[in-house]
Amino acid sequence: MALRSQHVHDGGVVERRLRPVYDWLDNGYNKKALQEAEKVLKKSPSLQAARALKALALYRLGRAQEAEAVLDALVEEKPSDDTTLQAMTMSFRESQQLHKVCTIYENAVKIDTTNEELHSHLFMSYVRVGDFRSQQRAAMAIYKFAPKNPYYFWAVMSIVLQAKETEDTTKRNILLTLAQRMIDNFISENRMEAEQEARLYIMILELQEKWEDIIKFIESPLYGQLIPGSISQACIPYLKKLGRWKKVNILCKELLYDNLDRWDYYMPYFDSVFHLMKENSNEENIDDTAEKCHEFICQLVESMSSGRTLRGPYLARLELWKRLSVEGDPTALLGSALALCVQYLRVFASKPCAVPDLKVYLAMIPQEEREANCRDFLTCLGFDENSEPETMDDIQRHISCLTAWRLTAPRPGATDALQLAATLRRHYLRSLEKNMIKYSTTEFCSADSYAILAAHHYFYAATEQKSSKPILEALCLLELVLLYSPANYHVKLLLVQLYHLLGNALAADSIYRRLELKHIQLVSLGWLHTARADAACVPTRALQLLADLRAFHTHHAKDQSIEHMTYAYKFGTFEKVVELRAWAARLEACALCAVSARRRDLLALLAAPAPPAPPAPLHAAHTDNRDLNIIVNWEPPELQDPDLRSRTFDQDMAYLRLTDALLSSVTLCTELAENKPIEEKMQHYEQLRTCVDTFSEAMEKCTEKYCVYEKITISGPFPSRIIGFVSSPVPYRELYSITLRMIGELSMNNTDKVHELCDQVVAIILISSKLIVQEIRYGAEDNGWSMRDRLESLSNYLQSIGVLTYLLGVCYEMITPTNTKKSKKKANRSVDQMQTIKLIDNINVTLQQAIASLEELMDLWPDYDFSVDLEEELTRMNINPTAPSPVENKLKLGLDKIIEDIQNILKRKTAYLKGLILNTNT
Amino acid sequence: MTTLRPFTCEDMLRFNNVNLDPLTETYGLSFYTQYLAHWPEYFQVVESPSGEIMGYIMGKAEGHGENWHGHVTALTVSPDYRRLGLAATLMNLLEEVSEKKKAYFVDLFVRVSNKVAINMYKNLGYIVYRTVLEYYSGDPDEDAYDMRKACSRDINKQSVIPLSHPVRTEDVD
Repeated sequence: MALRSQHVHDGGVVERRLRPVYDWLDNGYNKKALQEAEKVLKKSPSLQAARALKALALYRLGRAQEAEAVLDALVEEKPSDDTTLQAMTMSFRESQQLHKVCTIYENAVKIDTTNEELHSHLFMSYVRVGDFRSQQRAAMAIYKFAPKNPYYFWAVMSIVLQAKETEDTTKRNILLTLAQRMIDNFISENRMEAEQEARLYIMILELQEKWEDIIKFIESPLYGQLIPGSISQACIPYLKKLGRWKKVNILCKELLYDNLDRWDYYMPYFDSVFHLMKENSNEENIDDTAEKCHEFICQLVESMSSGRTLRGPYLARLELWKRLSVEGDPTALLGSALALCVQYLRVFASKPCAVPDLKVYLAMIPQEEREANCRDFLTCLGFDENSEPETMDDIQRHISCLTAWRLTAPRPGATDALQLAATLRRHYLRSLEKNMIKYSTTEFCSADSYAILAAHHYFYAATEQKSSKPILEALCLLELVLLYSPANYHVKLLLVQLYHLLGNALAADSIYRRLELKHIQLVSLGWLHTARADAACVPTRALQLLADLRAFHTHHAKDQSIEHMTYAYKFGTFEKVVELRAWAARLEACALCAVSARRRDLLALLAAPAPPAPPAPLHAAHTDNRDLNIIVNWEPPELQDPDLRSRTFDQDMAYLRLTDALLSSVTLCTELAENKPIEEKMQHYEQLRTCVDTFSEAMEKCTEKYCVYEKITISGPFPSRIIGFVSSPVPYRELYSITLRMIGELSMNNTDKVHELCDQVVAIILISSKLIVQEIRYGAEDNGWSMRDRLESLSNYLQSIGVLTYLLGVCYEMITPTNTKKSKKKANRSVDQMQTIKLIDNINVTLQQAIASLEELMDLWPDYDFSVDLEEELTRMNINPTAPSPVENKLKLGLDKIIEDIQNILKRKTAYLKGLILNTNT
Repeated sequence: MTTLRPFTCEDMLRFNNVNLDPLTETYGLSFYTQYLAHWPEYFQVVESPSGEIMGYIMGKAEGHGENWHGHVTALTVSPDYRRLGLAATLMNLLEEVSEKKKAYFVDLFVRVSNKVAINMYKNLGYIVYRTVLEYYSGDPDEDAYDMRKACSRDINKQSVIPLSHPVRTEDVD
C-alpha cells in the first residue's frame, strides 16, 4: 500500500521536507528514512508527521521499543492531520496493534468533527478489529453530516454483521428486522442505486429466510435495472427453498433449451423432476416422470446442430441413470450404465476431459460388471493396448480409451503392471520417433499421457514389489517427456512425488523449482515439497522453504486480507465483506503454516543453537488448505481412498500438538536459564512441568493410535511424520522428557533430583544411539526403496541431537555464573555444584559419542542401485534425446549433498559441545 | 459442461490445475482479493461437473467519459479443458456485465506471439486497436496487442477505429 496521503502533494513546506522520508520508506531504505526524518526534526522538533514517520522507520528497523515511545507520545498529543495519522496507522498495522488505530481516529474526529475522511478512517479502523457496533455508530455519524448512500449501507452492513455474530435469536431477529427496514425505507424513497446494495438487501432477506420476498424483489423492475444476468436463474435457489418444483422445472427447461451445456441448470432440473415424481401431478408441460425427463434429454441431444456436439445432454443422461439407480434399476428405461459410459467415451474420446467427466459415473457400474467388461472401454473405437494411432487426434482417443480401461479394470499385479508400463512407454517413444511430439513451451502434447499412464503403472509395480527399479524407470521416462513438454505440470508433479518417494528431496527440488509456485500456492501445494523437506534430511533447503511459507503467511495472510475487507466497504461489495473475513481467519489458522513454523524453529536448532521464540498459541481449530486433487489418480473406484484427506489431516494435527509441546518446553528452558531469583522462576518451572507432561502423554497416546501401516498413494501426501516418529525404536518420549525435566530441576537447584536425572539422560542417550543404528540398517534389501524411511528416521534423530545440544548449552548457562562464564575458572563452588558440573559434562561427552557413532553410520550410508532399461529401448528405436537422462546424476549428487550437509552439521555440533565442557579433567 | 459462478476466495486454494499453466500468472493474494472486493461481478469461474475449476476470468470497469470500458485482466482455461468454448463463455459474460454498466467498449492485452488467443478474440469480434511496445517484461521484452470490441452504447463504433501507430507502454493509461 502506498504510504503517501494525498495531502503530501499539496506543495506545503512540511510536505516538501517530508518527501525524501517517504521516498526512502517506499523503497525499503529504512535507515536512510530514519536519518532524513531526524534531519527534519532538528529544524522542527515537534513536527508530528515527521515523528510518526520516524516511528515507522524505527519499527521497520526492528527497534520496536523506541518506535513505541515515539508513538505513545504522539497518541497523547491527539493529532488530527491526515499525514500523521496515516503514518501512525502504518506503524500500528505492522506491529499488529490495530486497536490503537481506533484510538487515534476517535481522538481526531473529536477535534475535526465534520471531516468526512477522518470519520471514514475511523470506520475502517473498527472494520480491522471487527468491532461491528462501533462501525455502525461511526457510519451513522458520517451519514448525518454527509448523507451519501455508501455510508448508509456501511451502517446496514454493520448491523447485519452484529446479527450474524450473535447467538441470541431474539437479538438477531431484531437486528435483521432493523437492517431490512432501513433498506425498505430507502427503496420506497427510490434511493437504491447500486448492484451491491441490492445484493445486500437479498443477503438480509436470506438471513431471515424470507424466500418469498426475495423472489418478489428479483422480479421487480429495480432488480433488473441493477443486477445483470437472468432473472429466472436468480430465482431458482429460492423457488427450491419454497418447494415450488413445478416452477423450477419449467424455468430450468427454458434455460436449458438455450444453454445445453450448463450443469448448474441441469442440477436443479433433476432435483425438480425427482421431487415431482413423488407428487404425481400429471401435468403435461411438467417433467414429473423418469420417462418425461429422458424424453427431454433426448430432445436436447437432437436439438444440437451437427457441427458441434456438446457434452451436457450426454452427461445429463448419465446423471439421470445415477439418480434413478438410488431407488431402482434404470436399465429398462436407459439401458445399462456400462453401455451409456461406453457411448459417452465413443463420442467424446478426442477431448482430454472425457475420462475426467466419466470418472464419477464409472463408479456406479457394479464392480463385477465393470471388471468383466472393462475391455469394452479400450476397444470401443477400434483400438486395443497395442494399437499405433497415426494422428494427434487418434492419440488422444487412444489415451482416453486406455485411461477409461485403467479405471474400470482390476488393478494389475506387478508383472502385468510392468508389462503394460513397457507397452505404454513404447507408445510414447513411438510417437517421438514418428515426430508426433512437437516441442512446445506452452501446450501439452497428447502423447505425454502415455508416459504419465506408464509412470502410474511403474508405481503400482514398485509398491507391490517394494522395489525402486520401476520408480527409476518412471523417473527416466518422465524426465524425457519434460525435455519436449516443459509446460506439462502433470509430469513435473509426478517427478517431484517420485523423487521424494526415493527419499531424494534435492532431486525433487530441481523439478519443484520449475513449477514456480508462489504466494497462495505455497500453502495449497506446500504438502508436496515444503512439508517434506525437513523429514528428508535437507535442513538447509528446508529452512529456506519454510521461511518462504512463513513470509507469505505473516505478511499476506494477516495484513492484506484484513486490509481488503476495508476495500470491500470502500467499493460497497458487501457480500465480500463476510467472505474476506472468513478467508483471513481461514488462512490465519492454516494448519500447514502452524506445523511449519514449529518445524522451522526446531530445525533452526540443528543449524545453530540460537534460542527459539515461544511458538504462537495454537488455534482451537486449524484449517486444512491443501489442494489434494492436483495429481491425477487412475485407481479404480474400489481402490480410491476417500478418507485420505481427513486421516492425514488428523495425523498432521497430532504431530502439530507434539511439536508444539516440545518447542514450548524448549523455549521455557531458555526462560529458566535467565539469571533470576528462584521465586521468580517458579511460574516457568511449573509451566515447563505441565508442558513436558503434555508432551509425554501425547506421545503415549499417539504411539498407540498411529502405529498402523499406511499405504503409499501416488497422488497424495505420504504417511504422516507422526507415524515414523512415535513408532521408532528410539525412545524419544523419554529422551526428551527426562532431559527437559532435568533442566527444570536444575533451574530450581534441586540437586538430588538433578543428579538422578543426569544419570538417566546419559543412559537414554546411550540406548538411543544404539537403537538408531538398528532402525536405519533395518530393511536393507533395496537401498533406493528404503532410502526415504531411513532418512526420515535419521531426521527424527537429528532433531533430538539439535534439541539436546541446545539444551546442554542452556544447562551450562545455568551452572556457570555470568561473571565467570568466559574464564572457566573454578570459582568457589560447593561439592554439589562440582558434582553437577561433572554430571553435565558427562552428558556432554556421551552426546559427543552418540554423534561420533552417527558419523560412522553416515560414512557407510548406502547408495542407490541405479539400473534402467530405457537407454537400451532408445538405442533400439534409434531415438537420440536432446539431452542425456539426468536421473542418475540427480540422485547421486543429491544424496552426496545430503550426507555432506549432515556430516558438516554433526562436526559443528561436536565442536560446539567440546567448547561447553567445564571440567578439564573429564 | 459447465457451472458458471462467481469466483470466491476459497477458489484460490483449488485453482492450481489452471494456474500451473506457464502462461498463467499466480499473483499475490492481495491482487485477487482486491478484484474480489472491487469488481466481484467481473470475476467468474467455470467449474466441471466433478467440481474442478476449468478456468476463470478477472476483469474490471474503468475510464472516464467515452473511455468508460470493461477490461479483461486475466482469462485462463486449464490445459485439460481447452477447445470446449469455455473462453468464449467467459468473455460473453464479461461483455454482458460491461453492457449493464453502460461501458463503451471492452478491451484486453495479449502477447503478440499468442496466436491462438489472438485468433480466438478475433472470432469473438475483437480487433487489434493498437500495438503497445514492450508491454510484457522478459528477456526480451514483448509487445502487446490492445484488442477491443465496441459495446452497444458506442453506436458509431468510435472506440474501435484502430490507431495507425504503435504506442509505448508508458503512454497506456
